[in-house]
Amino acid sequence: MLGNGLLQGLVVTARNFIRSYFDPERLTTVQYPEERVTLPENSRSFPFLVYDGTPDNLRCVACKICEQECPPQCIYIEVERDPKTGKPVRRPRVFDIDYSVCMQCQICAEVCPFDAIKMDQVYELAGTDRFGGMLHDKAALLKSNEYYHQIRPTEADEVDARLSQSKKKVSPPIAKPAAVPPAQPVPPKTDV
Amino acid sequence: MDTAFIILSLITVAGAVWAVTLRNLIHAVLSLVLFFFGIAGFFFYLNADFVGWVQILVYVGAVAILAIFAVMLTHNLTAEDEPGFFSLRWLTGMAIAATVGAVLWFAIRSNAAMSQTAPAGVASNVADIGRKMMTDWVVPFEVVSLLLTAAMIGAIVIAMEQISHRK
Amino acid sequence: MYNFFDQLFVALGAWLVGLVVAAGNGVSKLCCGQPMSEAAAHNVAAGTQVVLICVTIYGVFALCFGLATWLERKMLARIQNRYGPNRVGPFGLLQFVADGVKMLTKEDIVPARADKLVHFLAPAIVLAPALLMFGFLPFGRNMAPTDLDTAVIAFFAVGAGSELALFMAGWGSRNKYSILGALRAVAQMISYEIPLVLAAVPVVMIVGSLSTSQIVAAQGTDSFLDVKGWFVWTPWGFAGFILFLIAATAESNRSPFDIPEGESEIIAGFHVEYSGFKFALFFMAEYLGMMAMAGLGVTLFLGGWHGPKLLPSWAWFMLKGFLIVCWLIWLRGTLPRLRVDQLMAFAWKAMLPFALFNIFATAVWFYLPKTTFLQSAVAWIITAALVVAAYLVISRFVSRRAGAPRVYRYAS
Repeated sequence: MLGNGLLQGLVVTARNFIRSYFDPERLTTVQYPEERVTLPENSRSFPFLVYDGTPDNLRCVACKICEQECPPQCIYIEVERDPKTGKPVRRPRVFDIDYSVCMQCQICAEVCPFDAIKMDQVYELAGTDRFGGMLHDKAALLKSNEYYHQIRPTEADEVDARLSQSKKKVSPPIAKPAAVPPAQPVPPKTDV
Repeated sequence: MDTAFIILSLITVAGAVWAVTLRNLIHAVLSLVLFFFGIAGFFFYLNADFVGWVQILVYVGAVAILAIFAVMLTHNLTAEDEPGFFSLRWLTGMAIAATVGAVLWFAIRSNAAMSQTAPAGVASNVADIGRKMMTDWVVPFEVVSLLLTAAMIGAIVIAMEQISHRK
Repeated sequence: MYNFFDQLFVALGAWLVGLVVAAGNGVSKLCCGQPMSEAAAHNVAAGTQVVLICVTIYGVFALCFGLATWLERKMLARIQNRYGPNRVGPFGLLQFVADGVKMLTKEDIVPARADKLVHFLAPAIVLAPALLMFGFLPFGRNMAPTDLDTAVIAFFAVGAGSELALFMAGWGSRNKYSILGALRAVAQMISYEIPLVLAAVPVVMIVGSLSTSQIVAAQGTDSFLDVKGWFVWTPWGFAGFILFLIAATAESNRSPFDIPEGESEIIAGFHVEYSGFKFALFFMAEYLGMMAMAGLGVTLFLGGWHGPKLLPSWAWFMLKGFLIVCWLIWLRGTLPRLRVDQLMAFAWKAMLPFALFNIFATAVWFYLPKTTFLQSAVAWIITAALVVAAYLVISRFVSRRAGAPRVYRYAS
């Protein structure tokens, strides 16, 4: 009979309409900025420097391999020199990454022999200054090993196991941080 | 000759004059639409509400659209070289227009029924129109419907010929 | 008590008119030393009444237009398993205000080769009939803005004026797609105007008058539950109502008949070259036309402002109109767009014969005796059988054509 398909279609849409109020799984919208999509562990955004314990205890020895390998050349390193002897010390004095140039290729993290530079997952980095505002210096880039465990648990465990075998300057293997769960999504904003 | 009549006449005559003088054909058809609205206004002025609304419904809603389609589907949309003043074509046109105008003037002035004003307060009774159409004027009504049927059949025949030619 | 709420707006209007006349009397006493004459007072009262009605209709229905856009976005969103706008106000209610501000402040771009006068006049000419159509609908008891004897024909005549404006919009933009969209829009609107008028004819036949106030009065019973007399409960009224809804959807260029403004096909059809406030006027004219058609459907078939005396009469009218608008939005969320030849075929081959047969069925109903309950039941069954038989025959005819193998015609 003419109109049969129309009625079936109307029933389907009516069912969608009514169930969208009672069935929370139907609405797949993530209401940013109250909720955020939990990213998989392997997603990456921009590089950061890892330190163990205190920010002075950073893993980077200013070998400048990442500066050489970076394709758009966004890393700028200056080696620290001992003020009395003038000899180079194994720390960077200046470590700048220009996030507006960085193309997030992860090559710097791949080539670092000391597991000092790793990829972060933060993407909310918008700023108002296009030229100098995107240049992140050493203080801004330093993040702790606990933070690294938080965003990439499996990778951080593997790195810690490797480092503890080779006796470099590293703190004892860190126990998996107990009560630091990933960012909880805020309950969805109630809606009509 | 009160204000409403003067305004309505201005609108109607302006529409009619623009319809024949404008160079852009689409503008001419749109001024024809203005003319139809003016005529509908006259019907309302004469207390013939139903005929006025039907004038808008049929003329503006169908005939004007038909004219627009006809103009759209022809390619030459601007007028040809217009004849100058006092050429033979212009003089002939003015003479014929003057003759027709004089005949109409005398006919209307001499007819007593035409010089009455509209009877005020008489609402047009649609039921009366319907009744008259079915009793006194039923033969013209049927003849007109027969004419419309013939026109429709003619249009369909022409369209079918076109389809069969294209095959 | 019920009467107070029912006639609330009538009493309010009368009070305001009285205020204005008193103010006029005061002014004339100041300058001329005596109050206005009877004729002058009458003129002032009439003028104020007209201005009051116009301002009320514009204000109320402009607000309804904003709420209709909000309702449409939320309902479509929920049908499509997503939230609608929910940021701008509580539940996104102020979204239409934000949209209005956005459209007002946008740059008005006119194409360089466009026909300036036609391009400029089209939005105004499309909005005027949409607003004028509201003047013929009775909104409540004693609340009809005008009381014309020929209101139904006037409504359709005024609706025909907006088709011309669509063509002017398409032509004035001097754009291939605009002209194409405008021609399709005009063809669609004149094709569906015939079933629209023919769907309203049975109602006029039964009532015997073209006046909307009388049509509404003919559907009323004197009981508390004022529901029995509506024309939609009769077989011909139901068929007419369905026909009217479909034709009204096509007249307002709404999905599934929105070829003229198909957003994914012809960009925006006839209003593609309009930006800013002119586009807002087209948008407003479409929604106002939809609401006016819904109002006429309520008046002709759903009993106008009649309803159980729990709500005032104007509330019933608005509620029924709201339900029809919800139905239109539901239909938009359900159906894909009709192709233009399917659209025209549906109007001329399916709806027109059905509407004509509906008139015949109405005549049968009219002449069958309906004095006792048994006789009314028999009349109802006979008319319903006629209407259903016509529907089945037409649907069989349409389906047979739809399943036939396609004939391809190539340009030679």
